[in-house]
Amino acid sequence: MNGIERVKLECKSLHQYLCTLPQALLESLYEHPATCTVVFRELPQLAKYYVMRVLFVDKPITKVAVTSWATNEARSEHTEAVAALCDLHVWNEVILPGGVSSAYSLSFTFRKNLQKTLIGGGESWSSTAHLGPDKHAKDVAELDKYATERWEALLHFLVGSASNSAISQDLQDLLVQSGLIRVGEEDGRRYTNITAKGFQFLLLDSGSQVWFFVLEYLNWVRDRGMNLVPILRFIFELSFSSVGKVSKVCSLPNVTWSQSTKAKFLQDLPTDGKDDRVLQCLQHFREMGLVMQRKRTSRRFYPTRLVINIASRMQNSSSSALSTGFIIAETNYRIYAYTNSELQYAILALFCEMLYRFPNVCVLQLTRESVQTAVVNGITADQILHFIRANAHPDMLKNDPVIAPTLADQVRLWAMERDRLTFQEGVLYNQFLAQHDFEVLRNYARELGALVWENAAKRNMIVTKDAHDQVKRYWKRYKKESGT
Amino acid sequence: MDPGEQQVLVVIFDVSPVWWGLKSLQGQAHITKFFDSLIIFMNSYLMLHSDNKLAVIASHSTKSIFLYPPPQAGNEQNSSEYGDCRDKHFAVVDNAIISSFKTLMSDGCEEKDMRSDSLIAGSMANALCYIHRITQELESRERASSRILVVKAADDAASQYMSFMNVIFAAQKEHVVVDSCVLGQDSGLLQQACDMTGGLYLKVPSQYAFLQYLLTAFLTEPELRKDSLVLSRTKSLHSVDYRAACFCHRCLVEVGFVCSVCLSIFCQFSPICSTCETVFRPSSLVLKSRKKRKVPSRSSSPCTDASIK
Amino acid sequence: MLIMDEDNEKAYRWEGDYEKTWEALREDDSGSLQASIDAEINKAKKRRLLKKQRKVRLGMMRHIFIVLDMSQAMTDQDLKPNRALVVLKVLQKFVENFFDQNPIGQLGFIITRAKRAESLSEMSGTSQSHIKSLMKLSSEITATNAKSCTGEPSLQNSLELAEKTLKNMPSHTSREVVVIMGSLTSCDPSPIYDTIEHIKMQKIRCSVIGLSAEVHICRHLANETGGTFGVILDQTHFVDLLNDHIDPPSGMATDSSLIKMGFPQHIPPHENGKVSMCMSTKQFSVGGYYCPQCQSKYSELPVQCEVCSLTLVSAPHLARSYHHLFPLPQFSEIQYARYVHQGGREQNCFSCLKNLQKGSESSVHQCNKCKTIFCLDCNVFMHVTLHCCPGCINSRCEI
Repeated sequence: MNGIERVKLECKSLHQYLCTLPQALLESLYEHPATCTVVFRELPQLAKYYVMRVLFVDKPITKVAVTSWATNEARSEHTEAVAALCDLHVWNEVILPGGVSSAYSLSFTFRKNLQKTLIGGGESWSSTAHLGPDKHAKDVAELDKYATERWEALLHFLVGSASNSAISQDLQDLLVQSGLIRVGEEDGRRYTNITAKGFQFLLLDSGSQVWFFVLEYLNWVRDRGMNLVPILRFIFELSFSSVGKVSKVCSLPNVTWSQSTKAKFLQDLPTDGKDDRVLQCLQHFREMGLVMQRKRTSRRFYPTRLVINIASRMQNSSSSALSTGFIIAETNYRIYAYTNSELQYAILALFCEMLYRFPNVCVLQLTRESVQTAVVNGITADQILHFIRANAHPDMLKNDPVIAPTLADQVRLWAMERDRLTFQEGVLYNQFLAQHDFEVLRNYARELGALVWENAAKRNMIVTKDAHDQVKRYWKRYKKESGT
Repeated sequence: MDPGEQQVLVVIFDVSPVWWGLKSLQGQAHITKFFDSLIIFMNSYLMLHSDNKLAVIASHSTKSIFLYPPPQAGNEQNSSEYGDCRDKHFAVVDNAIISSFKTLMSDGCEEKDMRSDSLIAGSMANALCYIHRITQELESRERASSRILVVKAADDAASQYMSFMNVIFAAQKEHVVVDSCVLGQDSGLLQQACDMTGGLYLKVPSQYAFLQYLLTAFLTEPELRKDSLVLSRTKSLHSVDYRAACFCHRCLVEVGFVCSVCLSIFCQFSPICSTCETVFRPSSLVLKSRKKRKVPSRSSSPCTDASIK
Repeated sequence: MLIMDEDNEKAYRWEGDYEKTWEALREDDSGSLQASIDAEINKAKKRRLLKKQRKVRLGMMRHIFIVLDMSQAMTDQDLKPNRALVVLKVLQKFVENFFDQNPIGQLGFIITRAKRAESLSEMSGTSQSHIKSLMKLSSEITATNAKSCTGEPSLQNSLELAEKTLKNMPSHTSREVVVIMGSLTSCDPSPIYDTIEHIKMQKIRCSVIGLSAEVHICRHLANETGGTFGVILDQTHFVDLLNDHIDPPSGMATDSSLIKMGFPQHIPPHENGKVSMCMSTKQFSVGGYYCPQCQSKYSELPVQCEVCSLTLVSAPHLARSYHHLFPLPQFSEIQYARYVHQGGREQNCFSCLKNLQKGSESSVHQCNKCKTIFCLDCNVFMHVTLHCCPGCINSRCEI
């Protein structure tokens, strides 16, 4: 096989992520009604109804009873639902006292907090009423601009393009840890290099990028031994804030938090001593462009569309990108990119050759060389095509299929050219004295199916390594027989 | 997760003052208890999916009133108010429902309101119009599965038979499922409605079980109910009564007489239809002879027409 | 617009003045057409309402024969893929709609080709059998590449075949024939005027839908027997013309009488575990409807009992037809400003809570009986689907 490592960028869903968390952590997450609701919404459809059925039933439900809830046709959905509930420790298996039958019981904290959400009560956790109106209220366009700027700065850093805008050490660490960049040192100067995984990351749509990054962020936080609970909650509440009406203009600026409420909310949790963990997280998010805070000390902040993308990502719907598409790809392998963004040029340059540049558009060419360079860097043909499709200009979207088949096929073919050589270990037999000897051994090897290559004129042949011993034995026996 | 199908649910709550008054005097049931359960149910429904749409109609004995969405404000501005978090959304919905319910309750009822039968048909007609509008507004984007849940207390109103039937047929045509939860006596009309639209009909035995019934049976969407969830094994036990009530004595008949003009049903033969005042011919013998006499007169008419022309 | 629907006296379209159809659309001040498009849409909605007119007495128990031309002319490809297939497809939809609107009506199909007329499916009240035979015919046509459409149709033979069955129908029912004619000719054994005269005496109402052009004899047949005649413009117009036959015709021609009917109760399978035979489909099953008179079992309603010939229906079947007999009266349209001027206080549509002030139409629709106001969409919905006024039910002033 060829030497290139094939790294697959893995992007888990929220459900999968939560499953990896230990039970104790989940339990403490469930302390908060908002989290319960997010987790509840993430459940498979059938599981939701199962939870609702037992919500007000305090006794555990026997397994037999649970099984009888679904029809036989829906057996697989049923198993999936029960598995999901158990994985998330929403349901716990218990053994009924005095009986052999096991049963499921709804997690106590989960039950309590879900009931609280439904019936009301508890204290509200996001109120800015006491802060009064914001003098510096931002509108959505401004927020969008801010978010795009920040997020692109991060991607710029990743691409290593010229404008090396400052990125905090924390985020750099995060990038390294998530395997998106590699850090090396040369002549006493640190330099960063994008990895194959990083290339793949660049080609994702922004919603997936953010979600991937947030997941990596969580892992990073966990590795540093910080308490995940308040941060996870913070993320949930953030994403939650916009679940209602994502596109609603006015829903955005309404969501503002004061630090005082946050402090209060953290006091609820004595296990975690310091509330500046969340504040630090807020600063990180601010840097990524997920939230906007006017000043570091400002008492309120606004979530941006990027965080909303997390929310819609959790709802498994395709997220609306920050900007509309800008690429037109023609069947002559030319690509016209209508954008001013340095970043987009840099990304396109990963797999195209730049031909011309104008103030608002640049013309690029997909060539065999450029595509193969991209493949060497670890980008697959499908990722290139996905990127073009995801960023296609509205006019190009009218085509069906969006990318012309000739173009798509050619890109795949170019990528496949890299795989033309297959490596196989073998043993070369040469210097046969007689043509007859060569033919006998070759025929034997061919019968075995072990012959890899032969050249009758030069009396050379290659046999697979596995069959080498057997062929050698045969040869010795043959020599002996013919010699005598 | 579930596909991009939006759910629309209209809850119709029968608040007939006579029935509830009587029950509360007997100490058997209190309307506020049921109302609380209903609110929890509605919150659960909203929690299932953020796109779920809800409307609540209170069916008084002479009027039906939208408790939610509140009619005075445009819905658009309203949604922004609770757009910030789910907890608040619930609160907004709950407050709206409770406040309009309070006004309705404190309005008091006049002499004409004192009727023992319910006004479900009117509320259902309103619900259908509302669903019609919601689905039309969505149509370009996705299909909506819509449902009406009727929580009925008082008895059927016999005078509403025709309107009720029209409502059922309209629901059937619009693919709206009618579920009903009956607190008082069994309702033949609702049984038919549920049977014809593929909904669920349940009678709640005690007020304590009300919430559990709602959460177990009525929270699930009809499609899921059909395919995967077993709800009750007793569902098919009662057969739906499709017998007709005659127009003259309001008694159920197995064999009756039907007026060929207006399709009124009578339990015995009468020479004149009381509904459309058609005179019937008593026997086929007379009928035949008359017809014979009629034939020449008819055939002559074209001739006269022709001569006029 | 559709000249063919109107009376003969009116001139043909090409004889009329030059029409400037585009003048209906006007730009508003900002150059947008939206306002005038909205107005057109609203007009179309209102037109739908006006079509529903109150009829005095209706022939609710309908017996219709549909005569299908399956001659050479039906292989024409002016309707895609060809006339025969299009007609059969449209008819399947028609059958469903017909039984939806006329639950106690009956249908029968006759096809005519190669100078003969034959029965495709007998007169019956269940949609399934008709749809099945229509589908069979259309697959036959596809399979033989329309070779089965041969020769000339025979109008006379088909009318006589239809008459044979229809004349035995009781006099309180309506007798109708709808001819779908693709050919411009008809091959008849004897003078057809005598047949028409005869049919007229039997009070059979004949309507003709022409697929190619107006033929005198068809128009004559329709005029004489009180039916309608129309020539289609395209497929949608064909559907329109055919759907005109879904609503019951005015029933002046029929006699009235009281008909004995049975309302059997449905016995669910588990209550009576015995297997018995359904008398209409001749198949064995558990549970069903039992005739109250002779206890024979049927799996589907409505049906005429094979044993005691009692008509078996369920109450909803009858109720489904009530809206024809007691239609919802038209609402009156008033300008919103005038409504407010008259002291109206409501801002929203009574039924759907739509705000009446903003919105494309600034007029409200008021029920004349209960004085409740509605929006245009609800008005259309109530008249087309719901057939009752929520305001009237709520104030308990319905019929």
